[in-house]
Amino acid sequence: MAGSGTAHLRPDDEVLLRVEDLVVEFPAGRGRTVRAVSGVSFDLARGETLGIVGESGCGKSSAARALVQLPPPRSGSVRLDGLELTALRGEALRRTRRRLQMIFQDPISSLNPRRRVRDIVGEGPRVWQLPGDRVDEVLEAVGLDPATAAERRPHEFSGGQCQRISIARALILDPEVVICDEPVSALDVSVQAQILGLLEDLKDRYRLTLVFIAHDLAVVKNVSDRILVMYLGKVCELAPSADLISRPAHPYTRALIASIPGGGGLDLPPADTLISGEPPSPVDPPSGCRFRTRCPRAAPRCATEEPHIRQVGDDHWLACHFPVKE
Amino acid sequence: MRRRLGFGVWLAAGWIGLVLLAALLADFLPFARYDETLAGPPQSGPSAAHPFGTDGLGRDVLSRVVYGARVSLGVGLGAVLLGLGVGAPLGILAGYRRRATDAVIMAVNDVAQAFPALVFALAVVAFAGANLRNVLIVLGVLGVPSWVRLIRGATLSFAEREFVLAARVLGTRDRRILWREILPNVAVPAASYAFIGMAVVVVAEGSLAFLGLSVQAPTPTWGGLINEGRTLMETAPHVVLAPSVVMFLTVLSFNLVGDRLRALTDVREIGLEPVRAPAALPLPTPTHPVRDTLLQVEELRTHFVTPRGVVKAVDGVSFTLDRGRTLAIVGESGSGKSMLIRSVLGLLPGTSIRGGHVYLSGDDLTAYGPAEMRPVLGRRLGTVFQDPMTALNPVRTIGTQVMEPLRVHLRMSRRQARAEAVELLASVGIPDPVRMLRRYPHQLSGGMRQRVTIAMALSCRPDVLFADEPTTALDVTIQAQVLRLLHRLRAERDMAVVLVSHDLSVVAQWADEVIVMYAGKVVERGPAAEVFARPRMPYTESLLQAAPRLTDPVHHRLRVIPGRPPDLAHLPAGCAFHARCPYARERCELEPPPLSEDHHHPYACWYPRPGTTAEQDVRTTGADSRGR
Ligand code: SF4
Ligand code: SF4
Repeated sequence: MAGSGTAHLRPDDEVLLRVEDLVVEFPAGRGRTVRAVSGVSFDLARGETLGIVGESGCGKSSAARALVQLPPPRSGSVRLDGLELTALRGEALRRTRRRLQMIFQDPISSLNPRRRVRDIVGEGPRVWQLPGDRVDEVLEAVGLDPATAAERRPHEFSGGQCQRISIARALILDPEVVICDEPVSALDVSVQAQILGLLEDLKDRYRLTLVFIAHDLAVVKNVSDRILVMYLGKVCELAPSADLISRPAHPYTRALIASIPGGGGLDLPPADTLISGEPPSPVDPPSGCRFRTRCPRAAPRCATEEPHIRQVGDDHWLACHFPVKE
Repeated sequence: MRRRLGFGVWLAAGWIGLVLLAALLADFLPFARYDETLAGPPQSGPSAAHPFGTDGLGRDVLSRVVYGARVSLGVGLGAVLLGLGVGAPLGILAGYRRRATDAVIMAVNDVAQAFPALVFALAVVAFAGANLRNVLIVLGVLGVPSWVRLIRGATLSFAEREFVLAARVLGTRDRRILWREILPNVAVPAASYAFIGMAVVVVAEGSLAFLGLSVQAPTPTWGGLINEGRTLMETAPHVVLAPSVVMFLTVLSFNLVGDRLRALTDVREIGLEPVRAPAALPLPTPTHPVRDTLLQVEELRTHFVTPRGVVKAVDGVSFTLDRGRTLAIVGESGSGKSMLIRSVLGLLPGTSIRGGHVYLSGDDLTAYGPAEMRPVLGRRLGTVFQDPMTALNPVRTIGTQVMEPLRVHLRMSRRQARAEAVELLASVGIPDPVRMLRRYPHQLSGGMRQRVTIAMALSCRPDVLFADEPTTALDVTIQAQVLRLLHRLRAERDMAVVLVSHDLSVVAQWADEVIVMYAGKVVERGPAAEVFARPRMPYTESLLQAAPRLTDPVHHRLRVIPGRPPDLAHLPAGCAFHARCPYARERCELEPPPLSEDHHHPYACWYPRPGTTAEQDVRTTGADSRGR
């Protein structure tokens, strides 16, 4: 799409989190503005995992942070179970924060190097003055031995173990939605598999709803029920995972799949015929469809008119004037 | 991990402690009071009764220096605490709140810092009166702007970290975040700066006292003592010398301790440089024939002697590589894959010991000294690393950097080099190469920078190109472009490529042969297609099944390799993988499996996998372990 629109959103009573027309912008110096997210909408049903995939600069991490209002979006709505988060301020916002938790990419910088694991994980309950001590329980749930781990500091752990500690910290407050921002991309393959498996287990055990953000489509497919593809601050395509990978209709999704060695088993043309050049700067995005500067199917209409999200199949949505039909 | 402080720093800290203690206990020390005249003969040199001698009025110099320390250190401590007390809250506020708060605080700070400090101090003290309190306040206030700047910088760098964001997501209040998350981290740089600040203030107080603008006589101060002694320089130099030396040592000590504290908090990587004189005798190597091939690596070993023991980063790796082929080295972090190519290239930290041989077209590179190695590295072996910025100089244009090897190694003229550089940049797919010559690295995207480093690596037409995770930092679509480029250039230039990667799908697509490393050893080797389709060694098999693939069903359970890689300083007996291997039996714990004799597809395992298709295995394991 690199387009906008809300046609793909489900009725309010079916969803737990609903994000509508999210806009995130930052000053870029010299009076310019980074248009990180420009009118993105999506929703999550309770217990669902939504994967958000895209390359650097597509706005996926900015969108994640806007969900927890850190910082709040420039405009748009984020509704958690009917509660409008963007309208909350101060104490009211702080009180709802615990219902949404986050896990970050860098396992090392996610943990305060000067605190012990027990204090890091126990911070949430202490802030909320919750009774009982669940630190041991959640440490066990993420596969760490409380007896040996709790009194140590982060630098004594490997990257994968640090990521487990981050997950424990997020879980201890019993959040409804957990936003995972590239949680495994800094990890080795074998550790990545452990963490992905752990997230799936915890999702069942604690009945979590997950937003899973990553640049690696194979990883996203592994854990997600639906996948949202983003490009330069816009939504390209949204579909159930298997459907998106087996029947990609947006030119950018196809390029993404074709760029992965093996091409996902699809018989796609070589990647260099599906995408060219480099992504433009989000400070000065192209008019119309933002993908048009790299799209082999671009036509004059793509420069003047922004494509809107429309349905092309069973729960399969996309924003493109000339999608690929097969 | 405790880093050593070093002997000098302990000495410096000891000296500071001694001076401090003497100043505190001055009243109880067995010497004459500082103002007692004719405690000994005037202007006498050092003696048993007066170790530092006496001054013009026969006062004990040691006593005066010790009492002087009270003023100097007292002013130092007071001024530093004052600066910290005012500067730290402002700095933390500016760094944490940012925006308007930051802008206002920093604007005022910049103005304050623009004041000529010493002139200001002189003026104020001259006006308000030269006494201990005024000097302390003036020096303290003068230090505030630097404190604000330092604390703000430290706060900023931590406020950006994810753990602070995580605390806010938890709903932690700002005050608690500052107190629990930020303050403890800012404390270390602040402590180090406090020592350096002490040194600065002691010198400043000395200067004021020397000008007679500090505490007035008869109370001695170091600067004052030096001033008094000035007139006796000819007849009794010790009167000037004693306070000067003490002050010099004290200032030096404060600086030393402060610097060292700062270095402790700096996390820097070990620099890699061509091996200098070997740190120890090279490891012994069995004899072997030299083959007729482009690159032959025989029993290569790289060990590090550390306080924890000998770390065997690379432990007996052999392979050969011909022109026009790509060899991939795969493994997880700590498997030794990057260390292996650094070892082949001779780019190792000085603390390593290398053994074995590396032959390039029959020349033994391990016999080369750094001076002989340099032309080989530039011309015959090219390198591309994960982070293009390590290879690019940020302050020089792309043009100068691409032309440099052409001019140095190939001795081209400026014009020739320029023309060649344009051609090189075009060949790596850079649009408008002529304009590119004038640009700086920071003006390019990551993908473009990596293309430039590839152009530089190829400029002297190397025989072998070593690429260590060349596309890991790049986006997927750009990664595909760069890998295709490497593949094309390999064919065009008839060179060999050694590709180090953690990404098995990349390796499967672009490599002819693959080496799988585990704990510094080769555990399996063979044609890439075959190794990936029919892995024999269980680690290779697990690795393949642990990596998610696009063709796997949604919510497919990946194979989990339990545990962690072994500690390279304490390798287990037997097979290094045995603690994590589902097929391990007793023999695996006792005897290390050798690499099998099979030249086509050797592996190191006592109980190898049958070598049926991994595809089937993945499906069945997947179905079993999913179980829901
Ligand atoms: S065909 Fe047009 S609308 Fe569709 S992705 Fe390409 S440029 Fe955008
Ligand atoms: S030798 Fe034994 S422990 Fe090692 S990989 Fe083979 S079966 Fe597993």
